Amino acid sequence: MDILNGLMQGFSVALTPMNLVMCFLGCLLGTIVGVLPGLGPPATIAMLLPLTFKMDPTGAMIMLAGIYYGAKYGGSTTSILLNVPGESSSVVTCLDGYQMARKGRAGAALGISAIASFVAGTIGTVLLMLVAPPLAKLSLAFSSPEYFALMVLGLAMVVLLAGDSLTKALLAMTFGLWIAGMGTDLFTATSRFTFGQTELLGGIDFVIVAIGIFAVGEVMANMEPEKPLDMLPVPKGLKNLFPTLQDLKDCRFAFMNGSIIGFFIGILPGAGATISSFLSYGLEKAVSKHPEKFGTGVIEGVAAPEGANNADTAGAMVPLLTLGIPGSGTTAILLAALVLWGFKPGPMFIEDSPAMFWGLVASMYIGNVVLLILNLPLVAVFAQLLRMPGYVMYPLILGVSMVGIYTINSSIFQLCLLAVFGLVGYAMRKLDFPTAPLVLGLVLGDSMEKALRQSLMMSQGDLSILLRPIPAVLLSIAAFLLLVPLIKKFNSVRAQVIDKEA
Amino acid sequence: MKLSKTVCSLAIAALAGFAGFAHAQWKPTKPIEIIVHTAPGGGNDLLARAMVQMLEKENLLPVRMQVLNRPGGNGAVAAAAIAEKKGEPHTLGVVSSAWIANALVTREAKVTLHDLTPVAGLLQEPALIAVRSDSPFKTLKEFIEVAKAKPGTLKQSGGSVTSRDNIIRQTLQHSTGAKWAFVSFPGGGERLAALLGGHVDMMVIEPQEAGEQIRAGKLRVLTQISDKPLSGFPNVPNLKQSGFDVGSTPQIRAVMAPPDFPKDALAYYEDLFLKLSKTGSWKKYVDDYQLEDSYMNGAALGKTIAAIENDLRNQYQQAGVKTVR
Repeated sequence: MDILNGLMQGFSVALTPMNLVMCFLGCLLGTIVGVLPGLGPPATIAMLLPLTFKMDPTGAMIMLAGIYYGAKYGGSTTSILLNVPGESSSVVTCLDGYQMARKGRAGAALGISAIASFVAGTIGTVLLMLVAPPLAKLSLAFSSPEYFALMVLGLAMVVLLAGDSLTKALLAMTFGLWIAGMGTDLFTATSRFTFGQTELLGGIDFVIVAIGIFAVGEVMANMEPEKPLDMLPVPKGLKNLFPTLQDLKDCRFAFMNGSIIGFFIGILPGAGATISSFLSYGLEKAVSKHPEKFGTGVIEGVAAPEGANNADTAGAMVPLLTLGIPGSGTTAILLAALVLWGFKPGPMFIEDSPAMFWGLVASMYIGNVVLLILNLPLVAVFAQLLRMPGYVMYPLILGVSMVGIYTINSSIFQLCLLAVFGLVGYAMRKLDFPTAPLVLGLVLGDSMEKALRQSLMMSQGDLSILLRPIPAVLLSIAAFLLLVPLIKKFNSVRAQVIDKEA
Repeated sequence: MKLSKTVCSLAIAALAGFAGFAHAQWKPTKPIEIIVHTAPGGGNDLLARAMVQMLEKENLLPVRMQVLNRPGGNGAVAAAAIAEKKGEPHTLGVVSSAWIANALVTREAKVTLHDLTPVAGLLQEPALIAVRSDSPFKTLKEFIEVAKAKPGTLKQSGGSVTSRDNIIRQTLQHSTGAKWAFVSFPGGGERLAALLGGHVDMMVIEPQEAGEQIRAGKLRVLTQISDKPLSGFPNVPNLKQSGFDVGSTPQIRAVMAPPDFPKDALAYYEDLFLKLSKTGSWKKYVDDYQLEDSYMNGAALGKTIAAIENDLRNQYQQAGVKTVR
């Protein structure tokens, strides 16, 4: 009943004309920021912050939150069309999204990503509304040993992301882990693999590696002279652009998977949207009836991660609003904004400022509808972009990639890094190395190392801290995942031997 | 009548001219760039953007000021970007104690604060030593006693090994012989979550961050680390009152300028930030974030930085962190 009353109050706040405008504005800005690679929600919100001082705080918060979750809608666009991840949490979307576009199903991929985002965003908001306080307690039970186990589970997914050769996949993953180790070590202030370069002290930005390997590498592979620069097929007629009923049926599980995984990873302050998108992709593949088709353009491979990164934003609001703990760069800025406007984010925030909390929750329902309406017509527009011939398309991809990287830090050094990773991506394609494991290692490596060292600092070096209930379960699942291919291999070898003997 | 008018206007003109001559010879003629070492949303970035906003609101600047983010190398990239603008009076930078700390331990940092011109000290950041409210420790003394009796069993969550959190621990450990573990977390949210979740026993926390947790009965403050008692924590003892007469290295935020900065421009900016520090907007900002207002001019800032650097070098050597300069 309380929740119902709260929600009524929330809608009475969110449905005022001014707040509706703010919600729309936030969603629109978010979509644009999401589409543009490089420029992310934290930077956008920080730059807009001074403008909000004179605004009504509730309206301003509604707008800034709109940018946060709106960006997750837009992020998939360039992943699907150009193989350039628009946000770090849309990297996984490249795997199947871009392959779908190559098969002429860009419209379906874009459409399903908007629908998955809508479903997961809405489910996430429902969960935020219903179970925020008890879940906040659960998120505190998670500490370094639990995070370590979660990251190991993530890394074990390399088995699922590997192509034909597990050895090559493991090599690529190790390369990713090595890149993750670059920069200044938090625990000892030692520089690792910086080669005397000031610019490498902070490590290498994940987005540079992802765009270099996926987008630049892909362009180079397509520029080889023996291949004709043919146009990608785009079906004629609006109806053929959108996902079919069968597509929606195929994605039933992906919608749920993305919503739940995204939300639960979202409430953990030490994880993040990128990790949730990888995990939900892995789960989707693990339970799929046709796992071998993943990476060739299956629609669930787009729906699951795109749902997860949206539900993640609702999840991230839980520790922010119920505990006053920011779990990510964006929520940290939202927290700073609340303080600037004179609010007191913390354990008593919902009690103290019910209008703000419920107004925000209600606006997230409205925002997700706005975003769906905003994004579906764009599908038709964006899908037409693929009608461009290769000599326009490939330079465009390179241009978008370079501008995207340059907007992060305005650094020429990072453009050079982009080129280096473009070459790495090209070489990997030529040598038939899978690229996804490298990115996976890079995403998880840094957090995994920190979590392990933190755990051992807490236990004074006693490894048994990793066998607390939650980590023990997660580590067992990881071990199981890693053993499956070995068992399969063993069985096939045994079958061969038996064949020979017979 | 006519004469007096002329005399009057002459006098005004002369006065205005004199006043102008006395302290505003130089004025910025184009937009000022203010360089920060974090991405948009980082601590220094938010401070710089709030400052731009306040300067505009209080009408203190004839030109615009814009924030330029040069993240990377924990301040080293930004320091190099400021040094590059040698003698340019339209470039400034917001620096924090982290710049001093990182330059001490990072060989790759080629430009340090010594190469830049100190302009004005703005803020000092006080801190609190906090435990969970259900913790057995009621005072810092009780915590230290247990840390002495069972060395290494108590844990503190904090930032990097070079951060102030660890310096405070080192100072206390060194003066009392107690020992407890320091667990580094990259984000403030994770540090607080580790404390609230019961995974560590103590943390050095910013007053603004702690305020609401205390009001909700989740945290208890043992000691405040600040020169003046914080307005929000009048009854909390400082280190000395807690029975530990040790110095604390201040955590500062300040404005620096490129090398070979023109003297008249320096005077202009010293005056500008002095004026800013007296405005209502600034006082409100300082109060909202529970900071310590500590304006100082360029010369004083230079001395403070040198003192902090010496202090940190000693602390790092005690802690076994390798210093490179």
